[in-house]
Amino acid sequence: MSKILIVDDDPDLVEAVTMILESKDYDVIAAYGGIEGLEKAKTGEPDLIVLDVMMPDKDGYAVCKELKADPKYGKIPILLLTAVVSKIPTTRYTQQMGLETEADDYVDKPVEPAELVRRIEVLLGKA
Amino acid sequence: MAKGARILVVDDEQIMRDGCTRILSKEDWEVVTADSGEAGLEAIKRGDGFDVILLDLMMPGIRGMEVLEAAHQVDPDLLVIVITGYATVESAVEAMKKGAYDFIPKPFTPDQLRIIVKRALEKRSLQREMEVLRLEREKSLRDIATEKSRIATIINCMGDGVLVCDRDSCVVLSNPAAGRMLGIQESSLIGKPLSECRVDGALTDIILGSLRSLDSAFPTVSQEICPTGGSIPTFLMAHTAPVKNDLGETLGAVTVLQDITGLKELDRMKSDFVAMVSHELRSPVASIQQQLSVILEGFSGDLTERQLRMLTRAKERAKGLLDLISDLLDLSKIEAGMAVQYKEPLQVEELLGKIHEAMLPEAEVKRLKLKLHVEPPLQAVQGDRNNLGGVFTNLVHNAIKYTPEGGEIDIRVKGEAENIRVDVSDTGIGISKEDLPRIFDRFYRVKSEKTRQIVGTGLGLSIVKHIVEAHLGKIFVESEEGGGSTFTVVLPTVSTPSR
Repeated sequence: MSKILIVDDDPDLVEAVTMILESKDYDVIAAYGGIEGLEKAKTGEPDLIVLDVMMPDKDGYAVCKELKADPKYGKIPILLLTAVVSKIPTTRYTQQMGLETEADDYVDKPVEPAELVRRIEVLLGKA
Repeated sequence: MAKGARILVVDDEQIMRDGCTRILSKEDWEVVTADSGEAGLEAIKRGDGFDVILLDLMMPGIRGMEVLEAAHQVDPDLLVIVITGYATVESAVEAMKKGAYDFIPKPFTPDQLRIIVKRALEKRSLQREMEVLRLEREKSLRDIATEKSRIATIINCMGDGVLVCDRDSCVVLSNPAAGRMLGIQESSLIGKPLSECRVDGALTDIILGSLRSLDSAFPTVSQEICPTGGSIPTFLMAHTAPVKNDLGETLGAVTVLQDITGLKELDRMKSDFVAMVSHELRSPVASIQQQLSVILEGFSGDLTERQLRMLTRAKERAKGLLDLISDLLDLSKIEAGMAVQYKEPLQVEELLGKIHEAMLPEAEVKRLKLKLHVEPPLQAVQGDRNNLGGVFTNLVHNAIKYTPEGGEIDIRVKGEAENIRVDVSDTGIGISKEDLPRIFDRFYRVKSEKTRQIVGTGLGLSIVKHIVEAHLGKIFVESEEGGGSTFTVVLPTVSTPSR
């Protein structure tokens, strides 16, 4: 079964996402900050990373950029969890940042469980 | 004038005085007589306000000529007609030289006397009118001078900067505040073309644009500038309007500069605060919603029907809260001037086409006819695609929300002078007269039986208005309760010189 790393500084959100993913029989490992996330991405051999954007120690964009620049881990698909959904002005910002950091996909927080699962399946090539 | 005129007859002969009195009294003139030069002079000096004096030159005592001189010392404008005895033309000429108005030789007929006095009175009347006009003119000139000095004082004392340019863009008037704000000595501004004044480039462009502008729908252009002249960074709001004559020709441009540095700072602090609070609010609420959806989907075990109902409601409420926070964030961003940063020339009808397509399913749910009408040719507007998209999406979304099933929504776009006009009209519940003026206010929501079921944050239209105004456009609404609403957005096209 695929192993998914969830990185978010909010433990409640990590728990919620973990429950969704575990119900679909994914192996889930969790990290509660950008630096920890980066470390677990390198040591935990995840097949996919669900990555929060706004984190105090190191934000998701920075984590994403670092991983994608590394030939060893650059191929791991990254799904960004964008925190600030503001309908009008930031859409382009999030899109641009998402593209610039070469994340594979992004989804607004909170996400409907079915939608999260669907996106992950697409990224893992299972859809 | 002729009526009630006062005439003094100075003659030593009783018969002359009586004769004149009889003839002149018939004309409704008041006649006063004096039997000697001394008596006449006394009457004149008393200032009895005579209009015409009939003066005999040949009298015992003071001679008429002396009376004439003395009379003119009292009132240089006094009209004196000399009565000359038996064709002594020389004395008549001498009297005229000394300022007599006319002469009448003895003997004379009543008609001759009447005519000559009447003429003198007419002259007197003209003199009076001229005097009145002269006084009025003097007063007007004084008023103008006073007004000029007053305006100059007002302009010089004003805290706001004033800059007036003629049509050749030469500075013709400025005040110390303008010099201070622009970091340029005021005296080095006057009389020079703007381009030589080291005035901020953006400001020069605005003024030149205003001078060039034709019949623009927006004669007054307000734009924020940040002049680099001063040592401390300042933010100015420049309001510029062309000065036109009665033929509509541009004679110059007036610019009023407002220092908004303090305001901007306050505004920034407020926006920072709102953004901070919103972020802090948003994360936990997003988390709550995420947890609720996990429970609702049964990932943590089965739910009873009652739990399901209550949690569904809780999730809806959390979503409403999240929407509100998002809107607040939007608003604070827009107010901080962080939005509308990606302006590019774009065709509004293309944008509307996409929105129309995207909104069709939502309209179909309520069996609403959603139509787009495009009236080419349409020029491009300078705008931010996402933000303008948000504006029209919001308007169409509102139309769908507030229109009962089976209704119709029309989106119309057409060119209008130097603008693009977009109308979004619906056959919905309309807006009452009381609500109409406040519809764009923050947090204002129409509360009625019909709108109770409709959710919203009350920020949508406020955000829309901000965005439209950031594009130098205008938004207005026409509506009648129960008779549908039409929201109109007017955006200047790219070619508009006054921006």
